[in-house]
Amino acid sequence: MNSLPDTATSGPEKPGPAVGGAPAKSGAPAPAGRTRRHRDATLPPWAFVVPALLVYAVVVLYPSLAGVVYAFTDWSGVGDFAFVGLDNFRTLLNDDRALESVSNTLLLTLAVVVVQNGIGLLLALGVNANIRSRSLLRVIFFAPAVVSPVMVAFLWKYVYNPDNGAGLNGILGALGLGGLRQDWLGNPSLALWSVAAMVVWQYAGYSMVIFLAGLQSVPAELHEAARIDGAGTWQRFRYVTWPLLAPALTINLMLSTIGGLKLFDQVYAATNGGPGTSSETLSTVLYKEAFVFGKFGYSTAVALVLALFVAAVSLVQLRYLRAREVTA
Amino acid sequence: MTTGSRSLSEPVPGTVSRRGFLRAGGGVAALAALPPLLTACSSSGGSDKVRIVGVADQQKPIEELLALYRKSHPDPAFSTSFAPTDQVQTVVRTQLAGGNAPDVHVLFPGSGSAMSMVELAKAGLLTDLGGQKWTQRIPKNFDPAYRHDGKTYLYSAGSSVIGAIYNKKAFATAGVQPPRTWSELLDVCAKLKAKGIVPIALGAQTPWVTQLISYALVPNAVYAKTPGFDADMAAGRAKFAGSGWADALGKYQELQRKGFFNDNPNGTTYEQQTSLVASGKAAMAVQVSAVLANFRQATPTPDDLGMFPFPGGDNPAELWIPAGIVVGLGVAAHAKNPAEAKAFIEFLGQQENINRWATAVSAIPFTRDATTEIDPALAGFLPIIDANRAVPFMDQSWPNAEVQPAHFAAVQELLAGKTDVAGALGKMDQAYGKKS
Repeated sequence: MNSLPDTATSGPEKPGPAVGGAPAKSGAPAPAGRTRRHRDATLPPWAFVVPALLVYAVVVLYPSLAGVVYAFTDWSGVGDFAFVGLDNFRTLLNDDRALESVSNTLLLTLAVVVVQNGIGLLLALGVNANIRSRSLLRVIFFAPAVVSPVMVAFLWKYVYNPDNGAGLNGILGALGLGGLRQDWLGNPSLALWSVAAMVVWQYAGYSMVIFLAGLQSVPAELHEAARIDGAGTWQRFRYVTWPLLAPALTINLMLSTIGGLKLFDQVYAATNGGPGTSSETLSTVLYKEAFVFGKFGYSTAVALVLALFVAAVSLVQLRYLRAREVTA
Repeated sequence: MTTGSRSLSEPVPGTVSRRGFLRAGGGVAALAALPPLLTACSSSGGSDKVRIVGVADQQKPIEELLALYRKSHPDPAFSTSFAPTDQVQTVVRTQLAGGNAPDVHVLFPGSGSAMSMVELAKAGLLTDLGGQKWTQRIPKNFDPAYRHDGKTYLYSAGSSVIGAIYNKKAFATAGVQPPRTWSELLDVCAKLKAKGIVPIALGAQTPWVTQLISYALVPNAVYAKTPGFDADMAAGRAKFAGSGWADALGKYQELQRKGFFNDNPNGTTYEQQTSLVASGKAAMAVQVSAVLANFRQATPTPDDLGMFPFPGGDNPAELWIPAGIVVGLGVAAHAKNPAEAKAFIEFLGQQENINRWATAVSAIPFTRDATTEIDPALAGFLPIIDANRAVPFMDQSWPNAEVQPAHFAAVQELLAGKTDVAGALGKMDQAYGKKS
């Protein structure tokens, strides 16, 4: 064993960059023409993006920014409007329903982010293992993510049927767990968590796919090296796989956080914010303010606050998660 | 030693590694996910066709009457579209704001919703239909539903009533008859319950269903004693709290306390409520007559279903009921084909067509003649309406669109035991006080 060359543990010395994707900065200086060639070579992918970005700017960015002005008006959605300064934001600070929806939104987001990514990671580790049915399982786990969220909500209303003989309650009864039967969507203390479970069911497979991409880019050499060093399964996961999964984790956490903070379809279709206001989220509140109550000005103010909040959370998250990313 | 064939750290120039792609993805995800929050929907239209947009409940009468109209008026062409209320509300309001509204669109009577006649009339978005003959036959007491500032903006065929849709077989099994007083109702419910039949099906997960029992009880509890309650509320002389509304919600709670509703009403939907009554598992449901057709469709024996006035008081000779003008149509002020749109509405205003529309939605026409046939299930309601003991649905006189959802939420919280009557009415008063 002692005769093993030490390259087995430290790997070959390469004049590689610290992070993937950037041109070499250490080691031997690159030939003069190489940088330009490199840039030319990477240009086409960005050129392909430009038309899509233009459409995005015209269809999404411009109307979104142009709409911000309504946050400072009393517009009802039809007819004339007057500027009211910061009144809408003052109203928001005293709006019990909106404030309750903020805490609901944060709780829902936290639950979805933690559970969805936890399950997504376990699924990814499972279907990344060398098992025969892994391709089929990947498809099955990912399938719910391609179904419309509204359809999922309607389907889950059947699962959550409060009748003792139907849906989840029926299954619990058949398993002899009748005592666990609940009024899943009708109990104000449970409704929010029932919606969270529904969202996790739908998108855990989505997280799985991103983690799977991360797992497959972990070089086998490192595992091999760690194994030779005597690392067990857990140590290899903790010290090899987990650090290298950081980019996938960054995307998953960001997507699920943003998705959770602006969750609308499933809540609206499953509970409509109820019972009472117990599962109201910021998105359902802003929808109702605009389209049910006819308060577009106020609704835009809520939307603006939500957008800034999501942006702030995302940026902080991105900065923190990027800082802990490492490369092989 | 190593089996990997790829370089670990240096990507091939011009390619994007999976890791690099994931890294770039984080930033793009954040950028892409934000702006839709601020984007309002819009759609464009524009054709020579006369466009009609209605709610799903209007599809049957509109399609039937449009087919009749086209026989005598082959030109111009019409296009119709129908969707659930909340979706239509979203789309039509956006189109109204964008100046591309349909020529004829759904319009809710009175005030109290974002698509109500008063709200849109105040914004100058409706055409006055006052010159049409049928408008002269609108009874004076229906003015608040059809007219604003002396101008007629709404076409509606008449009113629907709220009462109990019941399963005659279930009643026969328990050996009971439709009750005529509140005390009789409690007796009937107790007997039904003793037979293992759910006395009253309640689908309170569907927000609009929550209001129906309050609406059925409030006419006796409030308007029988204080006919000017709406005016008192508007003038600030009355509040929900401390009014007959407290008695009505108290009775609502009494029904729940005595176990007369199905289990978990807050988790039960309107569709499940319908099926409970149609199948005979439940004996009755407090509902609006406009959905009689849905209940009948849900059973192979529709004749087993009937309807009776839900007794909120103890004097059968003085029973008051809610009767609201059904959702109707308006002509957009900026219609592209105003003459054609108005001509179609004038056609709808002919007595035989008012009758047809009313029959399609189990409503009672606002004007009747010898040819008018009223759904036999509604026979028990006519004497009460003719005796002027019918009051419009309460929300039609509320000043803004927030009171009704506050009522929905209050009832769900009452049913869940999360609030009491005073708390529920306090929230409704708070919503009533907001600006429209």
